[in-house]
Amino acid sequence: MPMTTDQIKVSIQRGEDRTDVFDVPAYENQTVLDVVSWIQQYADPTLSYRFACRVGMCGSCAMMVNGVPRWTCRTHMSKVCDGDTVTIGPLRNLPVIKDLAVDMDPFFDKWTAAEGVHHPSASRDDPIASIDPETPQRVTANAGIECINCAVCYAACDTVATQPDYLGPAALQRAWTLLNDSKDSARTDIIDAISGNDGCHNCHSMGSCTVYCPNELDPMSAIAGLKRETATAFFKRRGNA
Amino acid sequence: MYDLDHHDTDILILGTGGAGLFAALHAQQTAPEGTKITVAVKGLIGKSGCTRMVQGGYNVALGGGDTVERHFMDTINGGKWLPNQDMAWRLCEQAVVRIRELENEVGCFFDRNPDGSLHQKAFAGQTADRTVHKGDLTGIEIINRLMEKVLASGVEKLQEHRAIGLIPTKGGDALAAVLMIDMRTGKFRLVRAKCVLMATGGGPTMYKYHTPSGDKTMDGLAMALRAGLKLRDMEMVQFHPTGLLAGDHTRMTGTVLEEGLRGAGGQLINHAGARFMFDYDKKGERATRDVVSRGIYAEMRKNNNPEQEGVYISMSHLGPEWVPKKFNGMVKRCADSGFDLAAGKVEVVPTAHYFMGGVVVDVDTRTAMEGLYVAGEDAGGAHGSNRLGGNGVANSTVYGGIAGDTMGADVGKMVLRDPDPNVLSREMERALHPLNRTPDTVMPLRKALQDVMWDEVGVMRTKTGMERGLSGIAQVSDALMDVGVDGCNLAFNLTWHDWLNLRSLCDVSEVITKAGLVRENSRGAHYREDFPDAGALDKSDYTVAQMDGDAVSVTREPVAFTIVRPGETVLPDGAPETLVAAQ
Repeated sequence: MPMTTDQIKVSIQRGEDRTDVFDVPAYENQTVLDVVSWIQQYADPTLSYRFACRVGMCGSCAMMVNGVPRWTCRTHMSKVCDGDTVTIGPLRNLPVIKDLAVDMDPFFDKWTAAEGVHHPSASRDDPIASIDPETPQRVTANAGIECINCAVCYAACDTVATQPDYLGPAALQRAWTLLNDSKDSARTDIIDAISGNDGCHNCHSMGSCTVYCPNELDPMSAIAGLKRETATAFFKRRGNA
Repeated sequence: MYDLDHHDTDILILGTGGAGLFAALHAQQTAPEGTKITVAVKGLIGKSGCTRMVQGGYNVALGGGDTVERHFMDTINGGKWLPNQDMAWRLCEQAVVRIRELENEVGCFFDRNPDGSLHQKAFAGQTADRTVHKGDLTGIEIINRLMEKVLASGVEKLQEHRAIGLIPTKGGDALAAVLMIDMRTGKFRLVRAKCVLMATGGGPTMYKYHTPSGDKTMDGLAMALRAGLKLRDMEMVQFHPTGLLAGDHTRMTGTVLEEGLRGAGGQLINHAGARFMFDYDKKGERATRDVVSRGIYAEMRKNNNPEQEGVYISMSHLGPEWVPKKFNGMVKRCADSGFDLAAGKVEVVPTAHYFMGGVVVDVDTRTAMEGLYVAGEDAGGAHGSNRLGGNGVANSTVYGGIAGDTMGADVGKMVLRDPDPNVLSREMERALHPLNRTPDTVMPLRKALQDVMWDEVGVMRTKTGMERGLSGIAQVSDALMDVGVDGCNLAFNLTWHDWLNLRSLCDVSEVITKAGLVRENSRGAHYREDFPDAGALDKSDYTVAQMDGDAVSVTREPVAFTIVRPGETVLPDGAPETLVAAQ
C-alpha cells in the first residue's frame, strides 16, 4: 500500500508509562529502522535502540511494530503504516534496558540451557565427515539451521509470556537441529535438557513462532519433533530399565 | 568527577567476530588453568562484526589438485605482490586446519556435493574451486556456531562495552589496560589485562556507500594510531562493485548485492540503457571486483542526470522465475526495500567493503607493544593491496585462533601492569569533550565526511583530489570538535556514540588519504588516475603510517619477498595456470 502522506506519526514506547509521538518525513524507500534512526539523529538524541548489520543477518534490531515482532531493518514502512501512523515498542518477553533496546541474555541463557551448542564427535585432526545432504535426517537438521537468533519467535510466543522459564521456540529448534545432526555426540544430554519442566512439553502448538519467523523457519514443527523424540526416548529407557 | 570502574582480568579480547570468538576458544584451550578470560564487544556477542555478514565463503585448499601453494600464489597475485608473504602463507596453511576445526569441533555444516564431500566453488581471482560455503549465508553459520561455543564456555562477557583507548604503562612499551564505556550505563570502565587482543574489525564506513555493519567505525585502528603503533597499507580500501542504492535516508543503501549475480550472467546497464563493462575488460561483468568498481564509477562520472546516480543491475533476461530460485535471499532483500530484482532492474553503486590495511603484526599476532595482539581486519599484511573473496573469513578465523594460542602461551609470563594516569585522563577527556559543548546534530557532519571520502579518496584517486580530501576531512574534524552532545543521560546514549564513531572515522580517514598520496602507483584496490601503472613489482614497497608528535607521518618500506619473488612461483614446473573450468 503506497503511503499518501509526507509525514508519518510514529509512537514510540519508552518505558512502562511513557509514549512519545514524533512526526517523521516519509520516503519511498524507508524501513522501520530508518524511521527509528531518524528520530534519534534529528529529533530526540536520547532515544535508545539497537541495530548492527542493517540487512537481516545479525538479529539485533527486532522490535514490536504495531504490536507484532519484526526485524526493523527489513520491514518497509509501507508494510506497517496504518494510514500515516505506526507504533514501535521494545521486543516482548525480554527485560528492557532502555527505550527500544532489550537485554537478550535470558534468550541466550536458554539457548545454552537447551544444550544449544555442538558436542563434538571428532577433532581438527580428523578429516571432514562425508555426509549425504539428501538424507531425511540431514534435511531435517538443515531446516532450522539458518536461524539468526533474533528472538522474534521468542517475543511472539504466548507460552513464554505466561511461563517465563519456558526455553522458548528458538532454543528448542536449535536442540532439534542438533538431535538430527549426525556429527553431534550428546543425544541424551540434549533430550534431558529439553524434556524437563521448562522444556518442549510446555508448547501448546499455537504456532506464533512459525507465523512470525522472518526467515520463514518452522520452530513449531521442530518442537513437535522434540515431543515425539522425548516420548520415544522415555519408552526406550523404560524398556531398558 | 566522572565515575571510573576498575576491573581486572588475565586475557581481554576486544570484538566478537570470527577473530575474537576463535581467540576466546583457543585461549581457553592453551592458557594455564584458572586463567580469567574476558570478551568485550561494542554490541552483543556474535551479533556485531562483519564475519557474520560473509555471504560467499571460506577459501581453503583441500585437495582435488588444489594445494596450499596454489592458494598462496593466488593470494600473492591478488594482493599485487604487496602481502607480507609469511602471513599469507600461514593463512593458507592454517585454513586447512581451521576448516576441520569449524566442522568437527565447532559444529558448522558446510554445503556438500551429492557424494557427501564438501562443495567448493571459485571466486574471481582464484585458480581452483576452493571456497567452502553454506549457501550464501556462510558467515551466519560460522558465527552462530562459534557464538554458542563461547556463550557455553563460561568466559566473562562485557557486552555493549566499547573500547575507546589503549592505555600503556608509563614507559609506553607495554599495554596496561583498555578504557571502555559501558554503553548501557554510560560509565567508564578501565579493564587491566596481562594480554589484550584487539579484534574490533575494520569497516570503512567513512564512505558514502559502504557495506559493513552499522557498528563498525574503525575504532580499533584509531586507538592503535593514538597509541603510537605502526599501521600498514592504510590506503587499501576494497570496494565491492554492486551496493544497493536506495537513497541517503535509508540504512539499506550500500549493502551488498552479491557477486554471484554477475557470475550467473547479471548485466550492468548505464544511464543510456547500454551494457558497458566490455568497454573496460574482456570478461565484462565477470571481471574482478576492482575492475568492475572502476568501470561503474567511470560510467557514473559520464552521467549528468541527477535522477540516476548509479548504474543498474539487470537479471530479468535470465528468467523472472529462475532468479528467485537461485538468489532467493537477494530477491527478498531487494523486495523488502521496494525493488524487484527478479523482473526489474536495481540501481547499484560501488560500495566500500573491506579494509586491507591495519596494525603491523608478526605471524603470531604480536605487536610492537608488549601485551597487545591484533588479529582479523584490524591487522594488516595478509592481503596486501587486495583481498580475494573468501580470504576474509579465513583470515579472521585463522589469526583469531593463533592469537588465542599465543596469548594462552604468553599469559603465564606476563603480569598486570599499571596504566599511565596521564594517558588515561587524556583518553577520558577526549570522550567527554562533546558533553561540555552546545548540543547539535552529528549526522550532517558524518554525511559531509562520507561525501569527501567518496568524491576525493574513493574508487579512483588523484593527488589534487586527495589534497582536497585532506582539507575536507580537516574541516569536518574541526567542526566535530564544536558539536556537543547533551550529556544529561549517558545510558545507551547513541548520539554520544555517533560522535565518538565520527571521531574515529575522521582520524582514520586522514591516514587513508595520506597513505594514498604517498603511493604513487596503482595496485589492487588503490587506483591513481595520475599514476595508473603498477610500478616495478620487484621494487614493491608498502606504506607505514604512524603518529609523529601530533601529526600522522607516512613512510615506505620495501616488501620482503621471503618466499617468492615477482616472476617466480612456488607451484611445481608445468602446473596448469588454472584448475577452474572455463565458464
